[in-house]
Amino acid sequence: MITVDIQKRLGTFQLDVQFDADRETVVLFGRSGSGKSRSLAAISGLMRPDSGRIVVGGEVVFDSTSGVNLPPQQRSLGYLFQQIGLFPHMTVDQNIGYPLGGWERTARTRRVEDLKGLLRIEDLGARYPDQMSGGQQQRVALARALARPVRALLLDEPFSALDEALRADLRAELIRLRGDLDVPIVCVTHDLREAHLLADRIAVVEEGRVLQFAPRTDVFQRPASRRVAELTGVGNIFQARGLGGTQVEIGGHSFEVDAPVEAGLLVDVAIRAERCLLRRVDPAAAPPANCFVAEIVAELAFGNSYTIRLQATGPGPLVDIEIASHPYEVLGVATRKQWVVELPAADLHVMRRAE
Amino acid sequence: MADRVAAPRAGRRAWSLEALFLSPTLLFAAFILVPLVALAVRGWQDGEVAERLASPFVLHALRLSIVTSTLSLALALIFGVPAAYLLARSRFPGHRLLTILVELPMVLPPTVAGVALLVAFGRRGAIGSTLSSMGLELSFTTAAVVLAQLFVSAPFLVRSLQAGFEAIDPTYEDVSRTLGVSDWRTFWRVTLPLAWPSLLSGAVLCWTRALSELGATLIFAGNFEGRTQTMPLAIITAFESRAGLSGAIALSLVLLAVAFLLLVLARVSRGRSRGDVS
Repeated sequence: MITVDIQKRLGTFQLDVQFDADRETVVLFGRSGSGKSRSLAAISGLMRPDSGRIVVGGEVVFDSTSGVNLPPQQRSLGYLFQQIGLFPHMTVDQNIGYPLGGWERTARTRRVEDLKGLLRIEDLGARYPDQMSGGQQQRVALARALARPVRALLLDEPFSALDEALRADLRAELIRLRGDLDVPIVCVTHDLREAHLLADRIAVVEEGRVLQFAPRTDVFQRPASRRVAELTGVGNIFQARGLGGTQVEIGGHSFEVDAPVEAGLLVDVAIRAERCLLRRVDPAAAPPANCFVAEIVAELAFGNSYTIRLQATGPGPLVDIEIASHPYEVLGVATRKQWVVELPAADLHVMRRAE
Repeated sequence: MADRVAAPRAGRRAWSLEALFLSPTLLFAAFILVPLVALAVRGWQDGEVAERLASPFVLHALRLSIVTSTLSLALALIFGVPAAYLLARSRFPGHRLLTILVELPMVLPPTVAGVALLVAFGRRGAIGSTLSSMGLELSFTTAAVVLAQLFVSAPFLVRSLQAGFEAIDPTYEDVSRTLGVSDWRTFWRVTLPLAWPSLLSGAVLCWTRALSELGATLIFAGNFEGRTQTMPLAIITAFESRAGLSGAIALSLVLLAVAFLLLVLARVSRGRSRGDVS
């Protein structure tokens, strides 16, 4: 268990983050310069916060009110740096065995062998870092970080230095290891898909603050604010006016949404592009609830998916819909210009505006 | 080479620049090589080099030179390594002043250094008089030779090593600390090994500078055979004596050989070390 509540002033930048992690993976998601990596530096003890409190595995490692500030050496954390940071003058075996300086020789050798087995790098023991690929280097760095018993694992953009194929490979590795480790993992990333893939819970960080901290599906489908929706790539954010109950008006059309809105109140409504539906309904007939007739005005091919933009022909909004490539092509979506679009009520998420 | 293929025009220009720079470079190389070859040839012609070198006068000077320059290197390491690390890694009040202070002996004429040392540590000097009253004489002793060498040569070590420390990504040290390894051990296991090439070249520069020290030694330590007469002083003495140039040549050949050997050794071991910081 990790509990973090810290404040730190860095020039004009103000870091002020709160989150916790039980035996789960918490992803700090945000753009570069948002303060995610600095939060990790504070947990590790490499950066001293101005105020606040950090508890790791029941032990207070930093507390500004009682003056506790353990050095990094005494925090028992596994910390994987963005720069990987393998010692260039040591072999793989020496790198992994490096934190085990006080261990008896045979125990140390056995531990190094075990770790190499765990990360599937048995054959690399005698290599130097410059004789390995980035993915291999990152595996060695992970083995080294896990050599001592750790109370939590901190990962700072662990895959950013790798190309796409290696990244996928190592992500799978991390997901496999996660169960065995049984410690909180705090992972920093600016990659949306990676955040969703790895996280149990996501903290969306911007300008040094946590905008939302929630289970990953909530962050993706129920963003707390317009800004979170933008950062998590929701795709469709509409201005809406409350009609009373769970009904709102968007672009002159009424829709049912996931929460009640007072009549006349202006709110933002978000729906992810992949949650919008195309329905095989006769455009001439009266459309069912939450449906409207629209025609395709743009098509973007992303390889594994298509995003089409549809403009309501009558009342209704402009909407982006994402469809996987295979059904898109098999159904010949683009060959038909007019469609009935459904925005399901459960996925139309209401976000109240800040006063 | 690849650039030349990709951009023949720029390549041709670069080539003509190379041609233009070739003659000054060759002249420069010749300028250094010719006197050294002349020295070797003359030593060969004079003959009796071995006999001259076997004289007690030379052996004393050689032994003294090696002992004192090694001692000053050891002292330079003991004081210079911490100084270089602090200058490279921390910012404190007086940092800039200290940097200039460390570099000062490099640009100071050694004779000035000798006078300054004498005024400070000489029998009637500021500190020397106190030491003298305690029965400790520094000036005109072998210890004075070491101090004179240390004064002029240590900055070469500090400068080189400071640059070496500065070139090391501090992430390596951060990684080591998060792995539970103490700062002290981190320094010995990570920082210093990564700075090895700079340490080596700094040490070679420092040692050879100490070996060639003349001006400061002459003023602060004097020229006493067996006590303060190092190789450079012996060369001067031989030059001014009956033996004249021939004696000086034999001694010079020894120093040249030692310097050359050191430089080659440093190059070789530097090529082997893995100091690549990436």
